[in-house]
Amino acid sequence: MVKKKVAKVLAFRYMVLAGILIILAGGLVLLPKYEKHEGIKPEQLLSNVISPERYITTDYLADKLISQDPSYLLIDVRDEESYTTYSIPNAINIPLAKLLDEDSEMYLNQDQFNIVLFSNDNFSADQAWILCNRLDYKNLHVLKGGVNMWYNTIINPIKPTEDMPAEAFELFTFRKAASMYFGVAYPEQFKATVVKKVIPKKVITVKKKKKAPAEGGC
Amino acid sequence: MGPLIPNGIIPHEWDSIIAILIGIVFGFVLEASGFSSSRKLAGVFYGYDFAVLKVFFTAALVALIGMFYMDYLGYVDISQMYVHPTYLWGAIIGGVIMGAGFVTGGFCPGTSLCAVAIGKIDAIVYVIGIMIGIFIFSELFFLLQPLYEGSFLGNITLVDSLGVNPYWFIFIFTIIAIISFVISDIIRKRNKKIFY
Repeated sequence: MVKKKVAKVLAFRYMVLAGILIILAGGLVLLPKYEKHEGIKPEQLLSNVISPERYITTDYLADKLISQDPSYLLIDVRDEESYTTYSIPNAINIPLAKLLDEDSEMYLNQDQFNIVLFSNDNFSADQAWILCNRLDYKNLHVLKGGVNMWYNTIINPIKPTEDMPAEAFELFTFRKAASMYFGVAYPEQFKATVVKKVIPKKVITVKKKKKAPAEGGC
Repeated sequence: MGPLIPNGIIPHEWDSIIAILIGIVFGFVLEASGFSSSRKLAGVFYGYDFAVLKVFFTAALVALIGMFYMDYLGYVDISQMYVHPTYLWGAIIGGVIMGAGFVTGGFCPGTSLCAVAIGKIDAIVYVIGIMIGIFIFSELFFLLQPLYEGSFLGNITLVDSLGVNPYWFIFIFTIIAIISFVISDIIRKRNKKIFY
């Protein structure tokens, strides 16, 4: 009796298997879809955000630039106009809007260089930093304070007052030397440059004379 | 999490060992389900045994549905899976030659080795034939190279080339498979029963 019942059920075994396949395949169609996370997990992003390696100071960057460390890649995330007006020497311009373009990816998605992102202050650079970190790009840093900080500390360092500690004076001498490296002239070294500047001016005047007869010929 | 090897959960050095283990299990299942008989394999072309069609179609479906469920649940990232590159004309011509060999010899390369393992003489002849074919192909490779490396379409899947939703594609594919099973059963019943 039992055997007969089993045989009755088993007679439909292929139908049942086919049914299971269809149900499973249909289940895939009917399952609610969700957006998958691309890149690193939120916990990892959070730990990157609070990591002290995230920011580098302008003094540190100036030191690396002066010692010509080849492992640093500077990326200016401001728009092109600001970049052409003034930027840190040897920086590449990738505006924030073009950050996720294919052309930008080869600069950002690599593990050979230490990338330093900067903008006028931290704000846009931090946005770029978050976006790139989320995509699991490596070795990203943000220049603390951006170009403004760069200007206030390296290009135009404030002279410490006499009641400040010795470190402040040391820092000032470093910054002053750095600013000279980046092309700022101080009154102390002015005498030497005066002589040099006179010579190229003469050359320019000669060139102008040459142009004048050519115009007349036409 | 997965796939396990590309994500470094299982080191690459284990590749060969895993391959051998899977190969042993695969060979065992092939032999156990009677796939080392050339009569059973050729039956699919003459319409008296559709085991080949059913087994391989079902295997593909189970793997496909299982993979997509695991992808959905986050155990496997389907975008990281290896997709075999498509060389269109090479694949078509190779498929025709392989099919012709399958009808005349009664084995596909995997099952022929399986049958050699249990000592079938026809399979041994077949494998020697495969070796001769490989030798001819290697010697004439300079002639066949443009065909072999031409019409490269990249690592594409049907979902990419047709541009359809993968879940709907699987569902339709499942229905096609089951319809083909039913039709193959009808054909088999119409044919005279052959004992082998």
